[in-house]
Amino acid sequence: MKKLDSNTFDELLQEQEPSLRKPPSFDLREIGFVSPAGLVQLAAWSYQIARRKHRPRILVDDPSVRSYLVRAGFASAVGPVADIVPALNGDWGRYFRGSNPMLIEVTRIESASMLSDLLDRIILVPRQNLKYRETDAYDIAIAVSEVTQNTFDHNSSSYGFLSMQVYKSNPPFLEIGIADYGDGLLSTLRRNPKYKEIDDDKDAIAHCIRLGTSEHDDLTRGTGLHHLLEITYKHEGLVQIRSGNAKVRYRMDKRQGWFFSVATMGGVQIALNLPSKVSD
Amino acid sequence: MHNSLDTVNIMEKRLKLQGPHLWTREEAKKIRAEVTSILDSLTVGDTLVVDLSKVKVFDYSFANELFGKTMLSLSHEHPGRFMIVENLTEYTRENLGKALEGLNLAMIEREGSKLRLIGKVHPADKETFDALAHSTEPVSAGALSKELGLNLTAMNERLSKLTTLGLIRRDKGSSAAGREQYEYRVLR
Repeated sequence: MKKLDSNTFDELLQEQEPSLRKPPSFDLREIGFVSPAGLVQLAAWSYQIARRKHRPRILVDDPSVRSYLVRAGFASAVGPVADIVPALNGDWGRYFRGSNPMLIEVTRIESASMLSDLLDRIILVPRQNLKYRETDAYDIAIAVSEVTQNTFDHNSSSYGFLSMQVYKSNPPFLEIGIADYGDGLLSTLRRNPKYKEIDDDKDAIAHCIRLGTSEHDDLTRGTGLHHLLEITYKHEGLVQIRSGNAKVRYRMDKRQGWFFSVATMGGVQIALNLPSKVSD
Repeated sequence: MHNSLDTVNIMEKRLKLQGPHLWTREEAKKIRAEVTSILDSLTVGDTLVVDLSKVKVFDYSFANELFGKTMLSLSHEHPGRFMIVENLTEYTRENLGKALEGLNLAMIEREGSKLRLIGKVHPADKETFDALAHSTEPVSAGALSKELGLNLTAMNERLSKLTTLGLIRRDKGSSAAGREQYEYRVLR
């Protein structure tokens, strides 16, 4: 079974060049599984294409994937700007946001005011499903809060998307995907004259994970990605940070990171995987 | 969010933050405006006590915006006034400490009648602060240097750093011989 996750998304982007097709189309007909990070990256890609006045198509055949796109809130999140092909039938109303305790549906992040309810759910899901202690769950919410604030702090004309899913596999884990289609780390960082020498996405990511690196010349800024890494390290998770044509994957049980070149996509996309605390 | 403000007495005002979850820089900006307005109303030697008893978690953006920015500007915008925190949990103490450390700052935490520094605290700063916190009277650099066994230059450097960080207060006083000198204290 082929899957769409934070890794295979990049492979498909490279192989299919979906933005260059007419109309722009992402072909998921061979996909049998989609992760939250894959979902939000696809949502961000759809909105990015729509900003160029095109209506992208997402081709999906597998009935379970089509059903998941509805249940995971993807269909309603991208409905205004993209078509799922073949068109979904009228079953949308059967699914209610918040009804699945293991899932946070694809949610558009537009402002700080909407974060509070979302973060409360992010505290609840790992506590209920993965035996996280209260303060461990707070850590996850802090990491998400820091990253999502970046999406609207640094981009005025685009949104971010968030999704989260618990997997009751052996061992259980959770994945959180956060993606936007904004200016990306390189452009954002270069607004600060201190960083105008930085000229590639890899360097931009490397700078942005250091505490205090920001587009703002303000000591108190630049906390987001640094604390994301610290919290992922504390909980021995995996994190991927992608922007422009580069990404870094950190495996935090070894505190080791690998950089990759990937097909270009605007914005910043984060995938965070965290293990269960059942064995604690 | 509604934060409650009590005036305990002329020397101390309390701001009780309403929790339990405090998220985002934007939320902190609103509270910082309230904090600034309280600090404006204080006179030299007065203290703003931020009560975190209802708070279980805040993010780093919140901590940096509220506590970081206030402490960065305290000694020049509100010289001689103090902002201290109390009723932290182990978790909020750890996270506030990390946020302050990232900014090379420290703050005073009050726990019962004890005062301690959290954040970026060098052992020398801790020693100096503790000595002043235990003293019931203002102390001159000379007297403190004798107490801690340091030369006067090193003592003045330590005291100057803590004053700039808004952690101790410096006033003009006079020595036993009637000469003008600076005296240092923590809170009143």
